[in-house]
Amino acid sequence: MTCREAIEVLDDYVDGVMPAELAAELERHLVGCEPCRAYLATYRKARALGAAVARAEMPEEMRARLRRFLADI
Amino acid sequence: MSFWTPSTRPGIRGCRLRTLSTDDRSLLARAAAGDTSALDAVMTQYSGPIYRLAYGITRSAPDAEEVVQDVFLQIINKGAGFEGRAALGTWIYRIATNLSLNKRRGKRRELETSLDELLPTYLDDGHRAGDRAFLVADWSSTPERELLSGESRRLIEAAIDRLPEHYRAVLVLRDVEGLSNEEVAQIVGDTVSAVKTRLHRARMALREQLTRHLGRRA
Repeated sequence: MTCREAIEVLDDYVDGVMPAELAAELERHLVGCEPCRAYLATYRKARALGAAVARAEMPEEMRARLRRFLADI
Repeated sequence: MSFWTPSTRPGIRGCRLRTLSTDDRSLLARAAAGDTSALDAVMTQYSGPIYRLAYGITRSAPDAEEVVQDVFLQIINKGAGFEGRAALGTWIYRIATNLSLNKRRGKRRELETSLDELLPTYLDDGHRAGDRAFLVADWSSTPERELLSGESRRLIEAAIDRLPEHYRAVLVLRDVEGLSNEEVAQIVGDTVSAVKTRLHRARMALREQLTRHLGRRA
């Protein structure tokens, strides 16, 4: 497996949906490839950070306005 | 050797959109008929997720608020005719996605960059191309609390802003709402393969922008 092939399938690995045989092949590549290990670690972290920052909760005052809006229909 | 972290061991996380129950159908019919308690129940369950998705796509609180109101207008206007071929959540997410994308039409495109320059490049033999110090830069042990505040948080916000809106839609539905690729494909009206590609590219673009900033400190 090359770095290109490894990075192309990292999403399935990180999401836990990669077939076991392919995951084993990827892990063999990762053992010997420091750049891909760094890529995996930072990809995983970027996914978590992106989700945390993109998660916007609806402000309470907006919820109250929505309630009033629906009551007025 | 395994590179799994405890929280990401196989077995896809996230909720599944349940199919429409008799209760859902009745709730929708009553909401559409103007029953305030039914509408309140729909609002309690769905206003938060609709807002998260609308804000994730539009990146604007006023636009997201309008989308939420418009989604509820559609629920009231069309809810009674909903036949339940899709899960209720899928139907509502689809309305919210379409309205959010419409809201974005013609706006802020100058912020959005081509993702190509944020994706990894390779040598002819398939190894990564680029300066080795950059390729092995690993900032992932930086505490999350530090990364989610101050300059780093602004950087992540800006990186999300620069994603094309269809990519942000997939990112929010998968990584924030925790839906499966199949569910997201139904919502955005695309193939599972296209959803997977978009999600992977969006995450790689985020990773690249963070690494360019944080990798120097690693």
